[in-house]
Amino acid sequence: MRFDSITEDGRLWSVRYENQEDNALFMAFDQWNDIAWLRQFFKENLDDLESYFHITNVNQAIYDTLDDSEQLECLIMDISPDADLEAIFRPLENSRTSEMLLSREKARLQQRPHHASWLRIYAIRLEKGIYIVTGGAIKLTRTMQEREHTLLELQKMEQVRKFLLENGIIDEDSFIEFLND
Amino acid sequence: MKTKDEIIARLKKYPSDTPSKWAETARWRKENRRWLRYSQQIALMMLDAMEKQHISQRQLAERMGCSQQYVSKLLKGQENLSIETITKIEDALSLTVFQGEYV
Repeated sequence: MRFDSITEDGRLWSVRYENQEDNALFMAFDQWNDIAWLRQFFKENLDDLESYFHITNVNQAIYDTLDDSEQLECLIMDISPDADLEAIFRPLENSRTSEMLLSREKARLQQRPHHASWLRIYAIRLEKGIYIVTGGAIKLTRTMQEREHTLLELQKMEQVRKFLLENGIIDEDSFIEFLND
Repeated sequence: MKTKDEIIARLKKYPSDTPSKWAETARWRKENRRWLRYSQQIALMMLDAMEKQHISQRQLAERMGCSQQYVSKLLKGQENLSIETITKIEDALSLTVFQGEYV
């Protein structure tokens, strides 16, 4: 597992998994701009698209994804040195209010017309204002556990969290210290 | 507790072998968004027509006189298509990409 710095100031990173041509951020946006991949995905997940978003037209879902992907990509590209990453990433669990070390986070577009955005970028928060992107997904269901492709994103987050601890990037002492605070 | 700088320094100990193309690609997508959207629309038209006519990528490549790899690239919707290629797509799939005549 390797890490690519996304912002020059080292506040945003992305994981590059073994045998991947580029990092998780690249791979997510690459898929979200690949028409053949998107069409296949929405055909396979048409029931979820209908049940949760009341959308029956796969092509409409593809165009919405392209629009959202463009906006989300611009949001990340435009992160300035004084931008607050805490405003872009939010806790994965909507109910979580207290801070957690190595917490699981998500970024999404807050407002889009017609329906909520289904695009998610997943990250681990290392410290206040420092994040590592672990992956991205099109989340059509209420929970991530419900579908294989979103469950995989949870597993990736766990894998990265474990790597960070095992390799002392965040050490066990900090982890325990944090838990005792 | 580690400081921010310590954490960043530790992350830097795990650099990738090759630089990421994310920023470069994101900039490219932004700069070329207008024609990319046309390319994406054509890819979608092609995929819909291929499904309706039960045509595989290999068969389409044969009809267009190009490689299957090139068809696969076209279907991603990220190719800057020439008018000649668009015409080949129209002929191969009985599609009309350009609508009407300019009078």
